[in-house]
Amino acid sequence: MDKLWLIVPLILLLLTGCKNDERVLEKLGMVQTSSYDLLDNNKLKVVACVPVIDPESPVRRELLTAESDSIKEARLQFSRQTDLTVVSGQLRETLFGLTLAKAGIGDYIDTILRDPSIALGVRVTVVEGDAGELLSKTYKPHSDTGRYITHLLEKESSSNSVPTTTLYEFSRDYNDDGIDAVAPIVKDAGKKVTVDGIALFVMDKYVMKIPVEDGIIFALFRDDLKQGEATVNLGEENGKPVIVMFSSLSGKRKVKVHKLGEGRFKAELSISVQGSVLEYTGEDKLSDPATRHKLEEQIAKSITDKAEELIRQMQQAKTDALGIGRYVRNSLSYREWTSLDWREVYPQIEVECRARIIIKDYGKYS
Amino acid sequence: MEPNQPKELSLEHILKELDQCADLHHRSFPELATDLVYFPHSVDNTLFIQELLEPFSRIQRSEVDGMLQQSQFVKMSEPKTAVVGILDGKVAIFHQKGVYLLDVSSPEARSVQPSETETVIAGPHDAFVESASTNLSLIRRRLRSPHLKIRKYAVGEISKTAVYVLYIEEIVNLQLVEALEQRILKIETDELNDGGKLTQFIEDKPNSVFPQFLTTERPDVAVSKLAGGRVVAIVDNSPTVVCAPASFFDFFSSPDDYYQRWALGTALRLMRFMALLITVTFTAMYVSVTTFHYEMIPEALLRTLAESRNRVPFPPVYEALLMEIMIELLREAGARLPTKIGQTIGIVGGIVIGQAAVQAGLTSNVLIIAVASSAIASFVIPSYMMSASIRLIRFGVIILAGFWGNMGLVMGLALIIIHLSGLTSLGTSYITPVAPMKPRDWKDVFIRAPFSMLRTRPSQTKSSNLVRQKNRK
Repeated sequence: MDKLWLIVPLILLLLTGCKNDERVLEKLGMVQTSSYDLLDNNKLKVVACVPVIDPESPVRRELLTAESDSIKEARLQFSRQTDLTVVSGQLRETLFGLTLAKAGIGDYIDTILRDPSIALGVRVTVVEGDAGELLSKTYKPHSDTGRYITHLLEKESSSNSVPTTTLYEFSRDYNDDGIDAVAPIVKDAGKKVTVDGIALFVMDKYVMKIPVEDGIIFALFRDDLKQGEATVNLGEENGKPVIVMFSSLSGKRKVKVHKLGEGRFKAELSISVQGSVLEYTGEDKLSDPATRHKLEEQIAKSITDKAEELIRQMQQAKTDALGIGRYVRNSLSYREWTSLDWREVYPQIEVECRARIIIKDYGKYS
Repeated sequence: MEPNQPKELSLEHILKELDQCADLHHRSFPELATDLVYFPHSVDNTLFIQELLEPFSRIQRSEVDGMLQQSQFVKMSEPKTAVVGILDGKVAIFHQKGVYLLDVSSPEARSVQPSETETVIAGPHDAFVESASTNLSLIRRRLRSPHLKIRKYAVGEISKTAVYVLYIEEIVNLQLVEALEQRILKIETDELNDGGKLTQFIEDKPNSVFPQFLTTERPDVAVSKLAGGRVVAIVDNSPTVVCAPASFFDFFSSPDDYYQRWALGTALRLMRFMALLITVTFTAMYVSVTTFHYEMIPEALLRTLAESRNRVPFPPVYEALLMEIMIELLREAGARLPTKIGQTIGIVGGIVIGQAAVQAGLTSNVLIIAVASSAIASFVIPSYMMSASIRLIRFGVIILAGFWGNMGLVMGLALIIIHLSGLTSLGTSYITPVAPMKPRDWKDVFIRAPFSMLRTRPSQTKSSNLVRQKNRK
């Protein structure tokens, strides 16, 4: 006890330097959203959005713009533009312009990861077009475009139409063997920002887009999911389109890899999906089990066709966004895997998709 | 300050000893050859008239001797005891055959009323009063057992205050009683007029902020402590009785927990521990977050917090300390003033401080919420002693948080825990049943399990007789 009275002042004296780490809330410019674009002169354009916390101010956010060679250099430029201390601990959203995404965003992700005050939950998003312009534009009634995009993506990814891509997930997939990173794409649609699809990467370079309508199918084949909605078009009947709106999805995915020798592989992706029919515009009675099973099969076929089409496109673009490579890796010894050039083998593998659809319930009448 | 030894047991010597006591009465009955010496204000007049004055007016000189043979008249042999007897409020009768004392004393005392500091919703409402004999009767009435033993000591050089130590023979560990006795005998003071004062003389670490003995005004609490194998000390002239040993967690249980259904008691108890956490950390958390850890603020709160801090001229530490001191002042003012004015203070203070300070931009409204929550949470703690200690400690934690953020906050909490771990109460660990770990006791500390499960007495009492209700199956 007596020792305590010696130790405490000693610790306190040693810690006096911490006074310099003060970050008093109202003196901070907390960057909540930042965007990165590649300019024609190969410089980086960084736009940061800082909330204005003065309740009497007519504007709710302040935009800081910098052109520089690196992200942290841009921060120094921001500092010169504002009376607040620019800090990145409240960053929630990073927007990468398409040009930059095509050139590769690995270095920037690395820089953002390196800053200890930035959380791993920061979203990584690709913008169709110029990210800085999207961020600078004001979409009525939203006073803060950055927040608007973040909440839009949070809501959309909760129903799995686009993947949840945070810094953590992006860098995990980017650094992992046998899977490629993905990110949602947003675009400026005039009066609104819309979710446009899913960006697929080869390493850190953007190569192709999955349109947002197929997002749920991509999600079903990428991982298990607990929630989602899908609309399946089953052609026409008596001149009317037959649509099944499938909701409350829960899906399980299984991947089997068969070695066919000589570095050839066959992957079987099978999913089992349960869901409720919310909307059905066809003529059939869903209360009849036989009809229902027929419908389930139709839906399954429609989904697998779509999925195989998507996978073919991915193979052409050499992006293994579904993570088939991980299963191939797990079926091989470490030496076999390292001697295998997966990037080149991947486009050649056979992929077979299977779906088992179960309609849990279908509403009251029909 | 013993009375000087009068040379002999005679009227004049004793009167000389009690010289210059203006309130002393000396009545002579020359025809009976007796003198009465007494302090009239400590004598019950009806009794006095009935027992002494009436018979004296009836009898002859020769019969006085016979009358004094009755049992209520105690013959004195020592002059010193005669003086002490008179001081106790007895009537001394000087007769040629000897000196007798008649006990017709009736000290003025408050009647038994509900406790002001420890109120319960259900359950007995009587509370201890200043008179030790009344207090002992309140306990005896609840424990009709010959095993309830009482030891009596006189403490205080001048005051000679009676201190009673109570315990139940079959249950208590006698070492505890001996230890308490040792400490009471060691007390050196002129006067002792309160149980709270007594605890400070006999505590293991008098310099600690935390009370190491539980003080209560409620006989039902005292009795349940006795039945649990603890020792209770009663100080004459004080409604505060001391229960020993006590653990830190004892201060968070209220008798209400036992008088209401167990689920409710458990919920309330858990809520109190939550209140402890809130009261210690809430304001400090605000300070550390707004000074250092802006990253921790959830997105939804960010604008609210920042806007509320926007006009405040002080750093968060000073702001928080200012408001905390304001609240403490309000509380103290309310405590010192008569209740009627005290309520006004509360309303005026609340509105003025709460509203005007925010409107004027002196503090942020989020801080007001934090400070008010901490204050309210601190009042949830049933023992006033403990809640006062914790409110005091809070200031230290706030200052630490203001200088070193969460690091300081955690260090503050660590220091508190280190200190608590080092405390003892009558030689037993202060933080039982957490350390030493006794999960068996938890069901009556952190929760209030149904009575069917509370079969053991607290292990802190070190009793050899830990099982209650042995015959119940």
